Amino acid sequence: MGVGASIAEFSVKRPKLVTAIMAQLTIMLALLAALPSIWPETFKSLEPLKVDTDPENMLPADEDVRVFHDNMKKEMSLYDMVVVGIVNEKHPDGVFNPVSLAKIEELTKFAKGLRGEALFGEDLSADDPRRKQGVIEVDIIAPSTVDNIRQENGAPKYEWLMRPTPSTPEEARAVRSKAQRIPFLNGTLVSENGKAVCMYLPLTSKDLSYKVYSKLMQKISEFDGDEEFHVTGLPVAEDTFGVEMFKQMAMSAPIAMLVIFLLMLVFFRKIALIISPMIVAMVCVIATMSLLVITGNTIHIMSSMIPIFIMPIAVLDAVHILSDFFDRYQATKDRRATIISVMDTLFWPMLYTSLTTAVGFGSLALTPIPPVQIFGIFVALGVVLAWVWTITFIPAYIMFIKDKSLENFGTAHHAGEPEANSALARLLAWTGRATYNHAKLVMLGVAAVTIVAAYGMNRIRINDNPIKWFTKTHPIRHADAVLNRHFGGTYMGYLALEATLPDETPQQYAEGLARRLSDRARELEDAPKQREAMELLSLTAEQLSQAAESSGQVLSALEDLGITSQDSAAEAEDDQAYDAWDEALAFVALEQSLDQIFKRPDVLQFVADLQTFLPSIRRESDGAKLVGKSNSVADIVRTVRREFLSGDDSDYKIPATTNESAELLMNFQTSNRPRDLWHFVTPDYGKSVIWVQLKSGDNNDMARVVKAVDGYVQSAGQPPGVNLTHRWFGLTYINVIWQEKMVAGMLQAFLGSFLIVFLLMTLLYRSALWGLLSMVPLTVTIALIYGAIGLVGKDYDMPVAVLSSLSIGLAVDYAIHFLSRSREAYKRHNSWGEAVGSVFGEPARAIARNVVVVGVGFLPLLAASLMPYKTVGIFIAAILLVAGLASLLILPSLITLLERFLFPKTKKCCLICNCTTCIVSTVAVVAIVALNVHQFLEVGWTKTAWMSLIAVIVLAQVCFFVGRSKMCRMEVPLTDEGEEQ
Amino acid sequence: MITQTNHLLAIGLFLVLAAAIASAGEDPGQTADQLTADEIVDNAMRVSYYQGADGSARVKMTITDPQGRVRDRELSIIRRDDLPKDEEDKNDEFLGDQKFYVYFKRPADVRKMAFMVYKHVNAADDRWLYLSSLDLVKRIASTEERTSFAGSHFFYEDVSGRNKEEDVHELLQTTKSYYVMKNTPKNPDLVEFAHYKTWIHRKTFIVVKAEYYDDKGEKYREYKAVKVEHVQGYPTVTRARMTDDRIGGYTDVEYSSVKYNIGLPDKIFTERYLRKAPIKYLR
Repeated sequence: MGVGASIAEFSVKRPKLVTAIMAQLTIMLALLAALPSIWPETFKSLEPLKVDTDPENMLPADEDVRVFHDNMKKEMSLYDMVVVGIVNEKHPDGVFNPVSLAKIEELTKFAKGLRGEALFGEDLSADDPRRKQGVIEVDIIAPSTVDNIRQENGAPKYEWLMRPTPSTPEEARAVRSKAQRIPFLNGTLVSENGKAVCMYLPLTSKDLSYKVYSKLMQKISEFDGDEEFHVTGLPVAEDTFGVEMFKQMAMSAPIAMLVIFLLMLVFFRKIALIISPMIVAMVCVIATMSLLVITGNTIHIMSSMIPIFIMPIAVLDAVHILSDFFDRYQATKDRRATIISVMDTLFWPMLYTSLTTAVGFGSLALTPIPPVQIFGIFVALGVVLAWVWTITFIPAYIMFIKDKSLENFGTAHHAGEPEANSALARLLAWTGRATYNHAKLVMLGVAAVTIVAAYGMNRIRINDNPIKWFTKTHPIRHADAVLNRHFGGTYMGYLALEATLPDETPQQYAEGLARRLSDRARELEDAPKQREAMELLSLTAEQLSQAAESSGQVLSALEDLGITSQDSAAEAEDDQAYDAWDEALAFVALEQSLDQIFKRPDVLQFVADLQTFLPSIRRESDGAKLVGKSNSVADIVRTVRREFLSGDDSDYKIPATTNESAELLMNFQTSNRPRDLWHFVTPDYGKSVIWVQLKSGDNNDMARVVKAVDGYVQSAGQPPGVNLTHRWFGLTYINVIWQEKMVAGMLQAFLGSFLIVFLLMTLLYRSALWGLLSMVPLTVTIALIYGAIGLVGKDYDMPVAVLSSLSIGLAVDYAIHFLSRSREAYKRHNSWGEAVGSVFGEPARAIARNVVVVGVGFLPLLAASLMPYKTVGIFIAAILLVAGLASLLILPSLITLLERFLFPKTKKCCLICNCTTCIVSTVAVVAIVALNVHQFLEVGWTKTAWMSLIAVIVLAQVCFFVGRSKMCRMEVPLTDEGEEQ
Repeated sequence: MITQTNHLLAIGLFLVLAAAIASAGEDPGQTADQLTADEIVDNAMRVSYYQGADGSARVKMTITDPQGRVRDRELSIIRRDDLPKDEEDKNDEFLGDQKFYVYFKRPADVRKMAFMVYKHVNAADDRWLYLSSLDLVKRIASTEERTSFAGSHFFYEDVSGRNKEEDVHELLQTTKSYYVMKNTPKNPDLVEFAHYKTWIHRKTFIVVKAEYYDDKGEKYREYKAVKVEHVQGYPTVTRARMTDDRIGGYTDVEYSSVKYNIGLPDKIFTERYLRKAPIKYLR
């Protein structure tokens, strides 16, 4: 009796014990997870449920790009923003009419108050930090909160753009024309076509965006009229997604369950019996999710899908058992004997199918993306759990069913229509014969399809976009489309520019400065007081050089000296000395400004030129403009300059001198919103940020912009004496980075699990050839699925990437079941031609039922309002279908063609004695090791490759010698082999 | 009469004789108790902006932003009360028009930038700006009073004095040392606060503290006089801090070389002297 039968016998003997253990374990885990979540105070030592919907966390918090992003956001006082667009398509002036503007103002006032108690909707104590959380009032960008600069009778003036709210159509239109004159506002606050207004509400923290979004929607519902209000922005999308995700989880998983249940009912027609797989699935989902919570992991976008992945897999094995039980029961009418024999047959295939599935998901732990790692590990865990409960609980459960109620179960139920004669059975039998008679034709077809698939895979476009996680009709996605049509773009990419001066220690700088000062002094022979001043500065610089900490420190010391000296000159009414110190201070100022690089005309011009370049970047596929507009300190300087000079566009120019920019920028700071400047440049003028508004949040669009800017900067050349480095940040950019990591990581994970599954198969069948054979359907399935993705033009995004591991797990399952049963049948018939008929009987039916039950069961996911769920639904169905077909068509055809090699009359007695198998397995092992060494020890590919090559050669020789050893000389007849089953 | 200006002292430095009030050897407390809210505000206004016939000071502003980064400004301010020609102001009771001249010394790259104001009590101010890099004198429109003063947490109005007629002033409370005033704007649309409170010292009429509240009654901005000295007999705030929670951070201001009654000639408050600064008076 095999292991499977023993376990089944135990369960059959002690069904109550098995059930009690399962129930207790599950309830305990559920309690451990639920208690601290419901009463966090009482169960402090336990981990409560933590939800994290932030795609930023696709990367570890200490990842370079995130650290830089956080630092720059802080340094530039930038916040994640909720975007509210207001469009009026009916009024000839768009929203620029008194009625619409009054509503916009009302909404602005409402938004200003969205923090603390008003936002959280509860009383907060005086020291509650939440009092200060919410919308950051002073940084709101809205018509009444932004500053305008313009000339009035030749006099420049700062004024709030829209205070008071216009009461006449003329005034309303004036607001528009004023805003369109300000580069910062045009295309950002007011649409270029003048029909729409966009408000930007910065948040103290982006996880408040759903709250803010809901409050805004509530307020907006109070308005009626021709205005359309659209609320969007990446943080809103991300946060809203998190909320909807839970709704989907609560709806999709149970619906899928229900459908699976109904389909099983159709096949097995015995409610009492088919409840058991449902119980197994439920228990596995609850236990896995509880473990996830207990271990302190967060429920992330990825982990929310764990139940949906575990369910089909948990049901899968049970369907095989039930299917066999269904087919065999009538033969004995003894549920105990039937289930033991079924379990004995299925034990090894089920163990291996579960193992391979677990490996497929477990390999995701190799990706560099934490949420994907967690997802992989816990699905793998769920799969193992499912296996454990399937082989123990299902037999136990069957014992609870009275023999009497099983009386009509199975084939006998249709007295006049034996199961073997059903439509499905006939179709399968026909398929079996076809693969035997036309094996070559089938393989030719497969080859043709594979070539098409390969072409499709070549066309795969790797891309993701959190907004596109919503369906097209979702208000957020709609808002996004409308606003990006009217404005420069709602996706902000921030381009940080940092200037470094030539490498010089402060000491060297001070010495150089002293030299420059004394040189200047020598030129001033005719002006003794000036020379004196310069010499004094030079001397001081030299004295300071030893202890100098920074160039800035030296310069401020000189500046102090200059100011004091000038003061005493003034005190002594020595005009000449006063003027001399004036000159000296001018020199110091110039030196200081060298440090303040983003006041320099050449550097500002560089920024302005880069901004001119940005809108010319186009998407390669359709030539669409990617950057709507950009904002920078260069725009601010030029705008202020224009209004301080003639007010005409001819004066919209970069200043001629550093002092001029300094004065203009100081003037900007006398406006209503001086701090806006510090969103574009640091107060030391050493770093600057260009806000780049992208029209699309697609990762590959952002990537295109990144690449184009790299190219531009390289070819544009640097302003003299400055080394400008550029680096991106912002959510749109972070998405690009984790996508890159994910794609590379997924590929490695996929390779890794492919190799491990192959090894497992070789081990299972004691033959590399059989191992390879079992990998064929899976390979074809994956090629077809991903080929189709490429051909259809669906973006290869996160859910699609993760599905590759599901494919490995599921596709190989069918192959295992099919091959195991084929070998069994071959043993009985001793000829494939005869065996094929029985393989296409009950075993093939089990596979087909499986495909239908699980595949169709997941189609309800298509009704979900979130795209990743739809994707998962359609792909699970497709993977199952293709994998099922591939197994049922390719495997028998290949066995037909390779019968001679697959079923030799004799066989080496021991796995390692077969030289080919030994070497092939060795190569696989080395490859797995190399993959992991490369990944985790960060050894370069070349080095890894060399080490692997050496290892393979050494091991191949070992194989060779082992194969020639005495032990291996013996050949045993295959039929006598102590086979797995 | 009253005052609007409390906080303004901050920069303002020009103080006045409080003598008129505390005159005749009466107990100042008793006398003051009989003052109306308007009179208290007027006195505070006088102490904050009108002491002496003119005055000058060096001002150092240290702006600390929410991230702790510090920016410095150094400037000189001179002020002259614009007394009608034939009038005398023996008791320093004048609360009328004034002329200001602000001259930038630091940061070094805006040196020589200058700013001139003719402050009118009954009309909009006249303002001019001199940009030395362009050698350009520009008249500036003056509708907004609550724009930032040189990027600091102080407003223009804090420096020049908020017109007392813009607020309704109530005496909330008289404590041992202070009159606590509540000042509510007549036109709330023009300002960012719902009201502000001032603590006016009963003896010197120095505004020692001002707190600004939003429409939810939450305090978000605070002025505090940190140090008061007597200069030529005038009580003078020489150090103050403005904190603004909405913007974050604070600005410290320090006055040095404070002088009163220096006999500033009227002619230096002209465009000509914007281009060529009257150094003598700007030390």
